[in-house]
Amino acid sequence: MRFHDAFKSAIKSVQHSKMRSFLTILGIVIGVASVIILMSVGQSAQDYILNQVKGVGSNLVFVIPGGTSGSKFAAPASSRGVIIKTLTSLDVDALKREPTIAAVSPLVNGQATIAYGNNNNSIPYQGVAADFFPMRGFGVSSGRIFTSSDVGSSNRIVLIGQTVAKTLFGDVTPLGKFVRLGNIPFQVVGVLENKGVGPGGIDQNNMAIVPITVAQNQLLGITYYNYLLVEANDAYNIDFVTSRVKTVLRQNHHITDPAKDDFTVETQADILSILGNITSVMTIFLTAIASISLLVGGIGIMNIMLVSVIERTREIGLRKAVGATTADILKQFLTEATLLTLMGGVIGIGLGALVTFGAYLIIAKGLAVDWTFVLPLDAVLLGAGVSILTGIVFGFYPARQAAKKSPIEALHYE
Amino acid sequence: MLAAKNLKKKYQDDGSETQALCGISFEIRKGEFVAVMGPSGSGKSTLLHLMGFLDRPTGGSYSFFGRNIDDLTDAELAAIRNDEMGFIFQDFNLLGKSTVFENVELPLLYCERTPPRKRKEAVEKAIASVGLAEKSNVEAGKLSGGQKQRVAIARALVNNPNVIFADEPTGNLDSLSGGQVMNILRKLNDAGHTVILVTHETYTAEFAERLIRLKDGRLESDAPVKYRRGTEQFVK
Repeated sequence: MRFHDAFKSAIKSVQHSKMRSFLTILGIVIGVASVIILMSVGQSAQDYILNQVKGVGSNLVFVIPGGTSGSKFAAPASSRGVIIKTLTSLDVDALKREPTIAAVSPLVNGQATIAYGNNNNSIPYQGVAADFFPMRGFGVSSGRIFTSSDVGSSNRIVLIGQTVAKTLFGDVTPLGKFVRLGNIPFQVVGVLENKGVGPGGIDQNNMAIVPITVAQNQLLGITYYNYLLVEANDAYNIDFVTSRVKTVLRQNHHITDPAKDDFTVETQADILSILGNITSVMTIFLTAIASISLLVGGIGIMNIMLVSVIERTREIGLRKAVGATTADILKQFLTEATLLTLMGGVIGIGLGALVTFGAYLIIAKGLAVDWTFVLPLDAVLLGAGVSILTGIVFGFYPARQAAKKSPIEALHYE
Repeated sequence: MLAAKNLKKKYQDDGSETQALCGISFEIRKGEFVAVMGPSGSGKSTLLHLMGFLDRPTGGSYSFFGRNIDDLTDAELAAIRNDEMGFIFQDFNLLGKSTVFENVELPLLYCERTPPRKRKEAVEKAIASVGLAEKSNVEAGKLSGGQKQRVAIARALVNNPNVIFADEPTGNLDSLSGGQVMNILRKLNDAGHTVILVTHETYTAEFAERLIRLKDGRLESDAPVKYRRGTEQFVK
């Protein structure tokens, strides 16, 4: 039997029992659609997160307190909740003297309630130096940013995000108004530009920024920094600058063995690599879970095909009587199973693409997030490939059962 | 020539054994019209299945135009069934949801020597020969019993076989349809096809030129039909 004839025969068989065929492939449709959705949304999320990090600037170096265990993906101790007080103003001063470095901004983080009148909200805040704004590309939509003098004088002034402004003030301009942050009065001097979620997962529209001196001394009561933001001098290679930062900090901290570093230095490329790996692993993990439904769908195909083989026993007997060989029957039923799963795969890919596009419309248009619609080619190929493979694997046993029937026993089947 | 020598067939089912054929010998020459008769359980259908390579004997030997069944693989048997044999069954065995054309085309799907472009011509010729040209695109399941059996005959002769095996072809038909079917078989025989007819009806068997009678799996008689019926004499 030619493949063309087996294919035509399979199409006729599907046409003859449309509802059953549809129900048979439903599992595959759902399975493939899930895989497509997770891979596509996963890719979009990865692109989004990486773009956010890229937006930070490629010439920036992050210094985080605490060393790592040496493994590339090990987190520094501070990120595991351990309070490490090793980064101080001495480090900032030393780094500022380094010619390969253009600017340094220390940062501290906190969480506090911000209140205006009867409105209040618990938000994260950052204490930063004046250099922070040009380094991170932060600007204001109204008002002004801090100056070095504001930081030096510990002025109780605050910049608030767009969401905070809306929550506390509604349509009234917040500029010049006094809010309470952690029960300390601050004057609002600016409203930050619209920003999305930052690399740390913080919604930058729902935060406040205060001078680092005020944050350290009045809000947190600490003398150390949570991390340092270092901007490389454009004349130098970023890797060289990174090595210089390490050398300066080791000298400051009297460290001779690099394995005993009490800080971690990461570049944007390092963070991109780590985040890329994390999101990839998450996508693979979720896709693997979605693949379970493909397995269930495949078993469904096998079940229905086995029933179909029993129902069509006399047809198998007839085909054998008129000259079909065991290989012909195997080919016919395997083609039928594969056609069914391929149809399921194609519908699943379409459905997955549709849902992914719907998610894009909601996230990008509805929520005004910088989200892109991605339908990765590898997801489409995987969906089609896996659906064909499912047909072959789960169709083989029923096809084999059909093929090995004796013609005369099959013809006499009641 | 079809030659059976001491042909035996034993069925085993759940530990019990049934000897369907107990050693039968005969020869059938090319172009003969042979009826195999006998009461129910006499082994006539079993004999037809063995002669048509649909089953294998458990004893003795059987050869089809010089090829012994024991020397052939299942695939070779299938190729001979496809190339040189045609089958007509009592209950038609049509694909009910397929058209007349598709049913008649079925053997050609497994025939490597008939290219797809020649199939249409062969199928249309076979359908026309049983007088169903206008029903070509009708679903087989929607036809009357007589028409269904004519479709089965068209399917049996579409590959121009040497031998046509008919297993109770008029068993499910009224007199008129039965007559039509027997007339077609007679004409096919006149055209040179060997026809082997299994029946328990004397008036059907008398269309043949030779009658083999079986009883309890044994050959009771093998003789020419004394008063062969004409093509217009089919009366149930």
